[in-house]
Amino acid sequence: MRTIDDFTRPLEYIAPVDRYLGDIVRAWADREVIPYRRKYDEDWEKHRLIEPAFRSLMGELGFQRMLFPEDLGGWGFGHSGYTATIACRAFEEIARADSGMAVAFGVIFWPLLMICTEPHVNRRLCEEFAPMFCDTSEPRFAANAMTEPQGGADIENMEVVGGSTIETTAVLDGDEWVINGHKLWPTNSGGVADLFGVVATTDPGSKDLDDFAFIFVPADTPGCTQGGPYQKAGMAADKNGDIWFDNCRVPSWYRACGPGLDATYFKEVISFGNVGSTAFVTGVLMNVYEILKDFCSKTTFRGKPLKENDDVAGVLADLARDTDIIRVLGYQLARMIDRPDLYGDRWSDEIVAKGRAYKYFACDTGVQDLKKAMNLMGTYGSDRLWDVEKHWRDLKIVQLWMGGKQLCQMEVARWFYECETL
Amino acid sequence: MDYQELFPVPVEWLGDVDLSMASTVSGWADAEVMTGRLEHHEDYEGLLVPAMRKLFIDIGLQAMLWPDELGGGGLDSPEAAMTLTAILEQVGRADTGIGFLLANWFAIQSAIAIGPGRNETLLKGSAEIICGDEILFGSLVLPGYGNGAEETDFFGLPYQATARKSGEWWVLSASGARPQCAGSNAHMFGVVAATDKGEPGLFLVPSMSLVVSVGNPLKLAGLAASINAEITIDAAELPAKHLLLEGVENIRGVLSWYYTLCSAVCCGALLASYEILKEWVDTRVIKGKGQVFKENPLVASLLGEIGAKTGLARIATYNIARMLAKPETYGPAGSGPVAATATAAFKTVARSAMDAMDNTMELMGSAGYATEWNLERYWRDVKTLEASVVPETVAQTDMARHYFDLKKL
Repeated sequence: MRTIDDFTRPLEYIAPVDRYLGDIVRAWADREVIPYRRKYDEDWEKHRLIEPAFRSLMGELGFQRMLFPEDLGGWGFGHSGYTATIACRAFEEIARADSGMAVAFGVIFWPLLMICTEPHVNRRLCEEFAPMFCDTSEPRFAANAMTEPQGGADIENMEVVGGSTIETTAVLDGDEWVINGHKLWPTNSGGVADLFGVVATTDPGSKDLDDFAFIFVPADTPGCTQGGPYQKAGMAADKNGDIWFDNCRVPSWYRACGPGLDATYFKEVISFGNVGSTAFVTGVLMNVYEILKDFCSKTTFRGKPLKENDDVAGVLADLARDTDIIRVLGYQLARMIDRPDLYGDRWSDEIVAKGRAYKYFACDTGVQDLKKAMNLMGTYGSDRLWDVEKHWRDLKIVQLWMGGKQLCQMEVARWFYECETL
Repeated sequence: MDYQELFPVPVEWLGDVDLSMASTVSGWADAEVMTGRLEHHEDYEGLLVPAMRKLFIDIGLQAMLWPDELGGGGLDSPEAAMTLTAILEQVGRADTGIGFLLANWFAIQSAIAIGPGRNETLLKGSAEIICGDEILFGSLVLPGYGNGAEETDFFGLPYQATARKSGEWWVLSASGARPQCAGSNAHMFGVVAATDKGEPGLFLVPSMSLVVSVGNPLKLAGLAASINAEITIDAAELPAKHLLLEGVENIRGVLSWYYTLCSAVCCGALLASYEILKEWVDTRVIKGKGQVFKENPLVASLLGEIGAKTGLARIATYNIARMLAKPETYGPAGSGPVAATATAAFKTVARSAMDAMDNTMELMGSAGYATEWNLERYWRDVKTLEASVVPETVAQTDMARHYFDLKKL
């Protein structure tokens, strides 16, 4: 009998721990998430159902320790040579259950990437923050505080604006950074995060990338305030809200990598986000495959199971094709990030642009596929009992996060066509 | 906002009554729903039902198709298709879910008041409650996917109900049937059933006392104004007058009305999402480029597509409404060309609406999917409507049957 494991992966890319980790996450998803996910929409504000599932995965199973070095209590994946490939597997297994949870989980590692991965490990900051994540069985969240109210995705549009639109300021006062600003929409905000990686400028209006600063701010720092979460069309497991930094003071060495390097390695965050997004689509499509296989085997049309009708089979084939291709793409991108010796730096314009291309291809295709699945299922397609509508709502948000489609298009065009004014 | 200026339709097809009713309903939409859209779905009984009461009873939509002399609005002729289209567009602009409820109700009413099944006995017998003060909901129960146990089907789709003749009565049964909407609180169901006479029939089934069980409310992606649930009817005895229509063509005629009215609701949702997007792109600035959002060429390319889809959706909808309004010119509502065109119009309009709203959401980013900006509600509603009204493959086969003269499907 065919299962989701029959969708293709480039097996020679797979990490040695892949099967072990994958089995653990899948069992967790089947046990802790899938039976309850239909109630998550009503749990968007309090996370009474969602938080225990996070606690189990991140705290008790320990997945929040993945990036930190082993001697600090972590799992050492930050220097494993398989960082992205392992993440790809974990993300698709979590997204199979709930892509909102996958986003929230993945974003924990965004700020940590800046300090935990080779070749730019910041040992002092690793030592500083490892206890927060590794010495506890409680779930700990981190968030990248990027987007600002006035500029939306401008901050992520580094190639054009070069950090000049950032209004959150970081001023060095003795041996402390003083941070002021207002951030909007970060994943794991809304009262969730324990640690923020804050995108700030040391010289407002400057396009000099030396002035782009990435500074860690623990959420309990005086002057740091989080608003409540926004209600959204889906993705209840990912809380988004406002964060205000009002004269927040943190040690000067809380800056991730330093002038110039912060901006350089920040693009690595985008590359990992692209891997994550592609894997989220795969996970969702794999679960929709499971659902459709069940639905179309049991339900009849023209006197036979739905799947035995040629026209229905055509739709099912499209979905299987896309799932297979997007899964391969995700692992290909992960491999490109894990092997800079072959493909170039993961923060390079080339890898960022190709990752953006894969991300928006996967998301556009995935959203279209879910719409087809809902139309195929008729009234059951929009019925929460079958979960497809939830995946559709959630995946639409995956399509739009990280600056949305138009930003992806611009970055892809800039690199492939060498556009100079866009 | 002047929609006719923005997205023109053949205005010469609309009479004074149509325009006046649409204007009244537009006023209702703005005053009763649009200003408090966010709160409405949080308070079904306190806000949504009172808003519907004003529409159904005070403005008089509920009795609009009943004859003048019986206390109704007197729009008991095929030309009501234009009026209903203009009205439901405005209802859909306010709340797609209310529009969907009305599309169901009017489709059933059209079978009673208009066309080949005009049922004088039922019109008179039900005038008191239809034209009374109680708000009523009606829902269609159409053929749907089965589980293999069914013996008969409507072009491949198993019937959800069966009816047999017993003397002067019909005995109708359905087990776990899924209505189009309002299963938990509809007062009337228009049930398409297989009959022992060989021809399918559309039966009017009052819910009180005849529906023996109602399942738990279904949670759907959207259309919160309708609380749907599966229903079971155990050998309900119906007087002969409750058989509204018989035969494939007549049932197709009801579907033509239903598809047309659902298209109008989608157009309304498109107009609402246009309004939301217009405000966004007029005021938002791409700061890095110092540019008003809509003046960016990439954004403009999408805005063009959205505008085109909205305009063409309206034209398609008003055209099929015109075909229903003029059976002497285009043939009966259930004839092959009209039925196929109605299906094509609905599928095209619903798909266009989804595509346009997808693009709108993409342009608005986080604000597109945040409840606060209202777009996401229309987006969920239209997708729910698109998927629920007719499965894609069924609609495709229905269209192919006419366009390519299929013999076996």
